[in-house]
Amino acid sequence: MHNAHLVALKPAVASILAILCSLITSGIILLFIGRNPLVYFSLLFAKGIGTPLGVIESIIRMTPLLIISAGLLSCFSAGLWNIGVEGQFLVGAMLAGWAAPALSASLPYPIYLFATAILGIAGGMAWIFLPAVLKARYDINEIITTLMMSWVAINLTAWLVKGPINDLSSVPAQTPLIPLDHRLPMIPLTRIHVGLIMGIASLLGTHWVIRRTTLGYRFRVISANKQAALRAGMRVPRIIVYSLLISGGFAGLAGVSEVLAIKGLFQAGWNPQYGMTTIPLVFLARLNGWAVIPLAFFFSFLAVGGEFVARDLDVPVFFVHVMEGLTLLFFAASEYFAKRRILK
Amino acid sequence: MSPLFESALISAMLASTIRGTTPILLAALGEAYVERAGLLNLGIEGMMVAGAFSSFVVALNLNNLLCGFLTAAVVGLALGLLFGFLTITLRANQIVVGLGLTIFAHSMSSFLHRVIFGNQFPILFGAGGTHEIPLVSQIPVLGQALFNQHGLVYLTFLMVPLMHAGMYKTRFGLRIRAVGESPWAADAAGVSVDRIRYRAILLGGLMAGLGGAFLALGDLAFFVPDISMGRGYIAIVVVMLGKWNPLKVCCGALLFGMAMALTSTLQVTGIKISPDFILMTPYLVVIVTLLLFARSTNLPSSLCIPYERGQKGQ
Repeated sequence: MHNAHLVALKPAVASILAILCSLITSGIILLFIGRNPLVYFSLLFAKGIGTPLGVIESIIRMTPLLIISAGLLSCFSAGLWNIGVEGQFLVGAMLAGWAAPALSASLPYPIYLFATAILGIAGGMAWIFLPAVLKARYDINEIITTLMMSWVAINLTAWLVKGPINDLSSVPAQTPLIPLDHRLPMIPLTRIHVGLIMGIASLLGTHWVIRRTTLGYRFRVISANKQAALRAGMRVPRIIVYSLLISGGFAGLAGVSEVLAIKGLFQAGWNPQYGMTTIPLVFLARLNGWAVIPLAFFFSFLAVGGEFVARDLDVPVFFVHVMEGLTLLFFAASEYFAKRRILK
Repeated sequence: MSPLFESALISAMLASTIRGTTPILLAALGEAYVERAGLLNLGIEGMMVAGAFSSFVVALNLNNLLCGFLTAAVVGLALGLLFGFLTITLRANQIVVGLGLTIFAHSMSSFLHRVIFGNQFPILFGAGGTHEIPLVSQIPVLGQALFNQHGLVYLTFLMVPLMHAGMYKTRFGLRIRAVGESPWAADAAGVSVDRIRYRAILLGGLMAGLGGAFLALGDLAFFVPDISMGRGYIAIVVVMLGKWNPLKVCCGALLFGMAMALTSTLQVTGIKISPDFILMTPYLVVIVTLLLFARSTNLPSSLCIPYERGQKGQ
C-alpha cells in the first residue's frame, strides 16, 4: 500500500462494507417473509436519522453504550475480557434505584447525584473484584468468572428487589420511583440528559489514559507480552486488578445513569443487555475511543429506527436484533479482510 | 407432611432434576469438546434457542417429533459451521462471533416465531412423552423418577461415559486435547488443527441444537423466545466447573438441574424461598469451588486463541 491515508481508511471501508452486507442479508430475510426491503430500509433511515426525534432518541440510547465502552477500553487494551458487564451494570443500577430516593431527600441535589454515582461505581467495581483477584493471583480465566458473576447479579438483584428492598406498595417488584426533579439534569436547550456528556468524556478520557499515560502504557504492555511486563518490573497482578476494576466501575456508572435519567426506578427482571452489544462493538472499534462513537450511534439508530418501523410496517421488533447480530458477524468477518489487505 | 406425600415429592423432584439437567448436559458435553479443542463458543445460547424453535416448527407442521429433532440437529450443525468458518478459517475473535451468533440466532428465532404464529403460542400435543423402562421403573421412589423419562434423557446420560471414553481413550480425543493445548505441536505432528477444531465445533453445535430441541419437544411442548433462560451460558459455566471432563461436567450439570427443580418443588411445599435466590446458589457454589481449588484449574492453553501456521497466536 503506497498511500498512508488509504491504509488508515481501510478499517472504515471494511466497516462500511460489513454494514452493507448485513443490510443486504436482512433485506433478503425481509423478502422471504414477503415484505419490501426497500420500504423497510427507507422508513428505517427516515425515522431513525431523518427526523430530529429519531436522532435525539438514538443519541439518548447511545449513552449507556458509551459509558460501558469507556470501561471496556480499559480492560480490553490490557488483554482482559470482561464479559460480565451486564452484572456490573445491574448492580450499579440496583444500588442507584435503592439509594436515590433516600439520598435525594436528605442531601443537596449535586451532592446527592455525586453520591449515587459513587455508590453505583463502587457496586460495579465490587462485582468484578473477585474475578479480578482470581485472574491476578491464580490466572483463572476472567471470561468465565465474570460471566458467572453476571448471572449471580441477575438473580441477586431480582431477589433483592422482590424481597428485601422492595417498595411493597407497588405490584410489580421495583424500587420507589425517583421524583422527576431528582433525575439527571438535561443538557441546556435539549432533552438529552447529561449522561451523554459523561459518556463521551469518560470514553475519550479513557482513550487518552490508555494512549498517553504510564498506566495505559502498562495495560498495553501486559496485553502484548505479560512476560516482558514482568521482566520490566511491572506489578502485573496489581495492574490487572486496576484495569478490571475500571471496567466494572464504568459499567456500574452506566447503570446509575440509566436509572437516574431514563427509568427512574429499578425493576426486578429488567435487563437491557447492553453488554451483548457493547462488548463486540468496542472490539470492532479496534479499541479506539473515537471509533466507538459512530459505531455506538449506528447500533442505537438501528434499535430506535427499528422500534419505530416495527409499529408502522408490522415487522416484528425482533428484526432489529437480527440486523444487529448480522452486523456483528459481518464485522467480525471483515476484520480478516481488513488485516489481509494491509499486510499485502 | 405424610410419608406418602413426602416420597412422592422426592420422586417428583428427582425426576425434574433429571429432566432439567438434560438440555444443559447435552450442550455442556459438546462444549467440553469444543473448549478442549481451544474454542470458546459463547453462541451456545443462540444455538439452543434456534434448535428449540426449528425443532418445534417442524415437529408441529409435520406432526413428527423425530423430524423435529433431526431439524434441530441440522440447524445446530449449520450454526456450528458458521461459528467454525468465522473463527477457524477467518480467525475472527471468538467472543465477538459468539455474542453476535447468540444475538442473531436468538432474535431470528423470536422473529420467525412472531411471523409464523403472531401472538399465539401453540402447544404441540404428544410432545414430552416418556418411555417407561420395565422392571427398574418399579423401584420405589427412584424408579419412576429415573426410569420413566423421555428417550433423549437416557441417551444423554448414556453419552456421558461414552464422551468420557471418547475424550481420554480414542485418537480423536487425544487430538482434540493436543489441538487445544499446543496447536503448533499438534500441527508439527501432522494433525490438521483446523480440521480437528471444525469437528469439535460441529459436535458442539449439534449437541447444543439437540439440547434446545429437548427443551421444546421433550420438556415443554411449546416455544417461547425466552425458552432457554441462559441455559447456554450455564453450560459454559458447568464445563469450567467440570474441568472439561465429561464425568465431572455431568455432576456440574446435575447441580444446576437440582437448583432448577428446587425452585418449583419449594413452591409446591409452600416454603417461602425466592426462586431467584435458589437459582443464584449454584453459581455461588461454583465460585466457592473456584476459590478453594483455585490453583488447580488447567484451562486448555490455547483457548480463544486462533491458530495460524508460523505465528504464535495473538
